[in-house]
Amino acid sequence: MKQSFRFFYIALIYLFLYIPIGTLIIYSFNNAIFSMLWHGFTLNWYNEVLHDSNLWIAVWHSLYLAIAATASALFIGTLAAISLYRYHFRGKNMLEGLLFVVIITPDIVMGIALLILFSLSGLALGFWSLYIAHVTFCIPFVVVIVYSRAKSIDPNIFAAASDLGASELQTFWHIIVPILLPALISGALLCFALSFDDIVISYFVSGPGFEILPIKIFSLARLGVNVELNALCSLLFAMTLVLVCVSQWVTRQKRI
Amino acid sequence: MKRFFCRGGSRAALKKWAWVALSLFCTVAMADDNVVNVFAWSQEVSPKVIRQFQKDTGIRVNFSTFDSNEVLYAKMKASKQAQYDVVEPSSYYITRMARENMIEKLDLSKLSNYKNLNPAFTHPDYDPKGEYSIPWVLGLTGIFVNRKYYPDDKIEKWTDLWSPKYRDSLLLLDDPREVFNVGLLTLGYSPNENNLQHLQKAYQNLVALLPNVRLYNSSSVPSMLIDEDVTIGMAWNADAYKASLQNPDIEFIYPKDKFVIWVDSFVIPRNAPHRDNAYKFLNYVLQAKIAALQVTETFYPTANQAALAYLPAKLANSPVIFPSDAVLKQGYFQTDIDDNALDAISRYWDLLKLQ
Amino acid sequence: MKHKFQYFSVGLIAGWLCVFGLLSFLVMVVMSFLQHDPDHIALWHFTLQNYVDLFNPIFFTIFLKSFYIAFMVTAACLLLGYPFAYIVSRFPERLQNMALLLLLLPFWTSSVVRAYAMMSLLKTKGLLNTALLSMGLIHEPLQILFTNTAVTIGLIYNLLPFMILPIYVNLERFDVSLIEAAKDLGAKYTTIFRKVIIPLSIPGILGGCALVFLPAMTLFFISDLLGGAKALLLGNLIESQFLMANNWPRGAATSVLLTAIMAIGLLVYKFKSSNKGIHYEAVI
Repeated sequence: MKQSFRFFYIALIYLFLYIPIGTLIIYSFNNAIFSMLWHGFTLNWYNEVLHDSNLWIAVWHSLYLAIAATASALFIGTLAAISLYRYHFRGKNMLEGLLFVVIITPDIVMGIALLILFSLSGLALGFWSLYIAHVTFCIPFVVVIVYSRAKSIDPNIFAAASDLGASELQTFWHIIVPILLPALISGALLCFALSFDDIVISYFVSGPGFEILPIKIFSLARLGVNVELNALCSLLFAMTLVLVCVSQWVTRQKRI
Repeated sequence: MKRFFCRGGSRAALKKWAWVALSLFCTVAMADDNVVNVFAWSQEVSPKVIRQFQKDTGIRVNFSTFDSNEVLYAKMKASKQAQYDVVEPSSYYITRMARENMIEKLDLSKLSNYKNLNPAFTHPDYDPKGEYSIPWVLGLTGIFVNRKYYPDDKIEKWTDLWSPKYRDSLLLLDDPREVFNVGLLTLGYSPNENNLQHLQKAYQNLVALLPNVRLYNSSSVPSMLIDEDVTIGMAWNADAYKASLQNPDIEFIYPKDKFVIWVDSFVIPRNAPHRDNAYKFLNYVLQAKIAALQVTETFYPTANQAALAYLPAKLANSPVIFPSDAVLKQGYFQTDIDDNALDAISRYWDLLKLQ
Repeated sequence: MKHKFQYFSVGLIAGWLCVFGLLSFLVMVVMSFLQHDPDHIALWHFTLQNYVDLFNPIFFTIFLKSFYIAFMVTAACLLLGYPFAYIVSRFPERLQNMALLLLLLPFWTSSVVRAYAMMSLLKTKGLLNTALLSMGLIHEPLQILFTNTAVTIGLIYNLLPFMILPIYVNLERFDVSLIEAAKDLGAKYTTIFRKVIIPLSIPGILGGCALVFLPAMTLFFISDLLGGAKALLLGNLIESQFLMANNWPRGAATSVLLTAIMAIGLLVYKFKSSNKGIHYEAVI
């Protein structure tokens, strides 16, 4: 394959990936309510978006939910990964099987299974139902990431620690956590992204009292193309861009 | 950051972080109780009305929308506890919800603006005593056509849509009753038919229409009409009017083989969690000025007769939004049908959408 | 101390997953054998009717359609993604990281946003048609939106990286000396590609296919937005059984069937390649 052809092909794929988003950003400055025809430049829609308080409440809910779910999933998942790595216990295989089942369960099936469970148990759909669902689908990812990092720990280190009189908790905080830190960070980032982005599961288990951003965007998108949504999506994309750059920068710092 | 985690300070620092997180988790605006959960048809409550309500009363509106009565009904059934304070079913679902004890009788003494409503709409046959529902918007379902694409076509009846000319181009509303109304009316039956044989004939009639159907949609009709994503099909008068303001080629037709007039009303579900706020919301939107704002924003005709005085002349005189009495005579009011008929429609509807 | 820590952490995760993973799934399975009743969630009455209903020819058509679309999406992702992964894996390392970052950037935004973006691109008066018309390539706007093609494009757009990443991980760990050896033995480039590179990247390909094919059957919001509300994917079928028809038992039965199909698919895949962890790392 010729070099120029390679670059041409790569560029083509990037065009496919970026043109739709680019269109969105350009049209968010379009001075028309519905239409995709160009009617002149305006910042009006950004103004509307910034002043739509209900929208920002949804953003806040989403952030809040993502942080809560990430923290909990990280906690539960990390402890589980360490136990899976360090100890042998009865039912270990079963636990691994359970994790595998949760990983392979299609999103939509998990969503409706939880909907049925919540509905039968009388739990109102709202923050708690979303929280439970998000923690549940995040846990296996944390376990997989942390476990694969934990495998690289030299087991002798634990013997050394206990010889020097460290308690189990001390070993945990002073040895295990620092070693696992990169895995914890990437696990947290992944959970945050999964939770912030999830629509399939949230669609079934969300209720009116706690509206989150993806559901809000979905219901707006169902109204057809409209510029306010274009502006919102462009803002989100800009936010993503900043976040990704920051996280890249942080991980690069870490490597050094 | 790294400093915290490495040496002696790590445990204390992590604990500190944990406490911060936990306290944040507990105190955050979870206990925001001055809200009202409204669940309404998409496009049928203007965002401006909601914003003004929030500004004037300080009550926050959790506003979510649905595209069909079926979704509303399923969502209400999905949870044992009531989630919503105000919902907006169409006429025929009100009968059903009242029968199944899902909605409350209204306390009209809390609604001082109730008198603004046109008495012709307050005792409809789906709620004969007017004790459950507050009519919010009216609508008429007809045919729209983009004259740029079909300049000389003679389209004045539903049956014209069956013409092979319109292969793969029709928009049908994503709503079982609406689509079956068309199937029934073109056969000369009433849209409120309970006769299962007639429904079956209507289904066969609609199957014959399927090759012409491009898509089912009821929530993004104005935007699709303006951008000419669809150029012919069925639509609600308000949506067609809204689109025609930006795309003058769009024409709305009241079919000669009759059409349906529907009413979407606000009701309060049983055990609504914020009932007082629900009444405040209803009384607020019953004000003449607010109802008028709603019409100028969404273009749906209103049952609020006091609001008519506040409408601009162009709107009040539009034959699309407020058709003449001669036209109105051709319309059927949509009413409840029995469970067997509704089940049959829902079964046929599944089949239609799967084909 | 050790035991306390161990019991606590194992108990926590086991308890959580048993209740919200296993129990909810079992409740769904039970629900799928109950009788539908319009006024309640279900009637406590055992029946196989929900499964029998699924073998109705019309539901069968949906399964076929859904499979067909998922298959097309997977094939397209493979055809588009494999060369991309191959080319990138031959880049110098810095460029590789850059290329992957650029690939993933759009995917950190919400998937609904991406579906919506595709919708505004494909509209009758969207950018695609405007561009093609002004270039004189077409004379009538293409009617893509609200067709199966639109759904397929939307799915490809959403799922392409899930194909590229596993293949890339596979190719990147690939021993270059194998190619050198083949070259030394006088093999032509096409032969090397066919006989050495492709066979060695089979695990990556299979992983990518699994990560694309399965979601392609269930991402209902994409076909909701791009497909004109005709039931196309299994996901739409399940969604409408729960949220339109209010027939939970049949929705549960459909979901059980879907899970069974996936489980079989994954077992086959697991049989072929044993290293699953890699792909999840790759997606990250």
